[in-house]
Amino acid sequence: MAQTSSRGISRRGFLKLAGAAGAAAAIGGGVTGPRPAQAAGGIKPGFESKFSVCDMCFNKCSLIARVQDGVIQKLDPNPKFLKSRGMLCAKGNAGVEQVYGADRLKYPLLRVGERGEGKFKRISWDQALDLMAANFKQIGDQYTRCGFMFMAGSDMQSTFVHRFAEAYGSYNTLSHESMCLIAGTRAFLDTFGEVPIPDMLYTKYVVMAGANRFESLVTPDSMDLMSAMKNGAKLVVLDPRYTKTAAKADEWFAIKPRTDMAFMLAVAHVLITENLYDKKFVADKTYGIEQLAKHVEPYTPQWAAGQCDIPAEDIQRIARELAAAAPAAMVYPGRRSSNYTDSTQIRRSYAIVNALLGNWDRPGGLTAARVVGLGGGIPFEAPFYESNPEDRIDAGKAKLMFPEEGSFKLARDAVLDGKPYPVKGFFVYHTNPMQTAANRSKTVAMLDSMEFVACMDIHMSDTAWMADLVLPSQTYLERQDPCSAQQGSSACACVVMRDPVVAPLYESKPVFWVMQQVAARLGLGKYFDFTVEQFRDKQLAELPGAMDALRRDGVYYNPSKLYGVYEGKIYKTKSHKIELYNSRYAEMGIEPMPVYTPPKPGGHARMRMVVGRNAVITQSSSQNNALLAKFQPTNHLWIHPDRAQELDVKDGDWVWVKSKAGKQRIQAKVTHETRPDTVYMATGFGVLSPGLANIYGKGACIAEVLGDEFDQITGNMAMHETWVRVGKEAA
Amino acid sequence: MFKRLMVMLLIVSFIGASLGLALASGDKGNSRKGKYLYRKNCRVCHVENGKAKELSPISKTQAQWKTTFEARDKLACKAEWAKMSDKDINDIYAYLWGHAKDSPSPAKCK
Repeated sequence: MAQTSSRGISRRGFLKLAGAAGAAAAIGGGVTGPRPAQAAGGIKPGFESKFSVCDMCFNKCSLIARVQDGVIQKLDPNPKFLKSRGMLCAKGNAGVEQVYGADRLKYPLLRVGERGEGKFKRISWDQALDLMAANFKQIGDQYTRCGFMFMAGSDMQSTFVHRFAEAYGSYNTLSHESMCLIAGTRAFLDTFGEVPIPDMLYTKYVVMAGANRFESLVTPDSMDLMSAMKNGAKLVVLDPRYTKTAAKADEWFAIKPRTDMAFMLAVAHVLITENLYDKKFVADKTYGIEQLAKHVEPYTPQWAAGQCDIPAEDIQRIARELAAAAPAAMVYPGRRSSNYTDSTQIRRSYAIVNALLGNWDRPGGLTAARVVGLGGGIPFEAPFYESNPEDRIDAGKAKLMFPEEGSFKLARDAVLDGKPYPVKGFFVYHTNPMQTAANRSKTVAMLDSMEFVACMDIHMSDTAWMADLVLPSQTYLERQDPCSAQQGSSACACVVMRDPVVAPLYESKPVFWVMQQVAARLGLGKYFDFTVEQFRDKQLAELPGAMDALRRDGVYYNPSKLYGVYEGKIYKTKSHKIELYNSRYAEMGIEPMPVYTPPKPGGHARMRMVVGRNAVITQSSSQNNALLAKFQPTNHLWIHPDRAQELDVKDGDWVWVKSKAGKQRIQAKVTHETRPDTVYMATGFGVLSPGLANIYGKGACIAEVLGDEFDQITGNMAMHETWVRVGKEAA
Repeated sequence: MFKRLMVMLLIVSFIGASLGLALASGDKGNSRKGKYLYRKNCRVCHVENGKAKELSPISKTQAQWKTTFEARDKLACKAEWAKMSDKDINDIYAYLWGHAKDSPSPAKCK
């Protein structure tokens, strides 16, 4: 870790340094942006207020930065931002530490020791860009352009990484989504023809299975669900853990993991056999009710009770209550669905119950995406490279993979196999697969197999730690970004954008600039022959007044239609109706309706490991934040008291937790808040990089323990298929 | 003369049959090459404020793309289509059909 640590600088000294840098740039006119607090005149507050957009998770909440002498003093919510209902969460408030944290990467670093050994030397940006260009050329020439793989996280500049990849000629682009939500996306797309946005504010009844919306925040869902509950809505949570959402719910059932589909099929059984479904809606707008009725006939509540550990009378009652509240009732679609090998089919069962309730396109149900009107930016015509292979490296390994997202799991396997062709270069931006992808040993092996890995981040993540070239990124508060469209059902359809609120610290740069510079070196400069302002102007071309609204309010709203969007229109499915029975699946050899497979028994000695979030952790990007680390300094293994007693484990004892993928040591949290057959630990600890000084040496890495099964339809990582053994560590 | 006519008819029917077969299922062409060819040849006019109606794969359903391609000799740009090889046509079809609005992977942007 030579030359990268700033631990020798005190926080006070660091802020002084940061302040000086900010002030110098401000004097030079380097920082521009709106100043809403000063617009009213009168008493000046002694600080500037500037709009930005949070980047502590994927929600992109509008915020106001209070800046004094070029230094951010505080981040406040933007009260005019309806999608978050004027809220900025704990993570959002801590965003200031992303800028001033002592572990910021400061200049480009080149690996000089073994991979993962942590020996780097400082190099100039010119050297770094020349090195990147040389490797893009060499690897492209030797292995074809598809021999270089790209991975970009959920970021407002990731579009430029994808643009570069396309201009350079690689199809092998990955995102974080195949570790998160693509099974759910596939399921709802293949049922309704698009991915719905739940209208939480006006709902009267929610069944939430496999989601934790009061800790793992999604705007406006989290806030609107709370408001709906104040107005009398009922929340039923199915979760093997007693999450904060379970604690706030009207009813919580500690469902047996991997049996959610059984519950949903039994609900469908009750809705159909008791004639409780919306018959007019189903007759007019859906396809396959006869097949579905026959299909769910054997899936009785009594049968499901034996699978789910939820009493039959409760399943029956919940189905009846859902029907009584419909159409302002829903099975919440959820977000992360990277759970099981049949997660798409599990989420299809959620979608089918929603269709039976007739809640689509109606208040309190599931709404379609509203018109935002944001354009795609500056179009381009990427070259075609005849020498390239026909398709992605992971193509054909999951029947309905999304070609723009790919599958990290299947791409990693293909890289390790070297088939169907070698991939030897990897560029990673704003994401950290070393912590987010199950089976960390395989990720290490994949990175080891590469001839060149470049990683761009704000700190020395574990992925950066394994890279050959590490590039310091600007934080979101230092950057000028393109506009971003946001969907919030009844809250809004809106646009947000970012301008820098302070001058960038150190030698940090935006990835747009990096892509532009490398493209120029490769003779691809014409694909980046524009500024971010010009890109935004093109995005906003059909929204007159939008830029004025963004500068004035920090957000632009499109008052587009919310309900009844589909009146007179076809559904974007094969039958052009909502597909209870999926005819495309039938043609492709996929079960056209969800068929339940009971979980394989793990044996008493083993427990199922599950993944989850809390309100101060999004992913590994926020763990090393000094402010948030005070709330969650480490992680623990949640284990039920009955199992702890069998293993002679007491609260706080050190235990080992072991799976086929790997082994970690961690302290036990003995708690009734998980089922006896289920253990849990938070993501993002047990890091390898000492560059993450706030969390290095703390906790255990769940990615090391999780096995890498995958959803057969999409290639989504299946993170709840891992059985672990737990034992007390010898004294 | 009759023999030449028969041979020509056979060739035409063979080309028609092979293209018809391919059009029934867009995944027989190279969609990625088709995207490139579409941008190069079609988007010149089928663009915002262009000479022809703005188009993208999600402008039509798969059935509508099939109909459009089968009757391309009736399009205003039929002369442009006539210059193109069967392979290129099939690749463009694979792209537009494969990312149509009712396809499993609708195109995300224009």
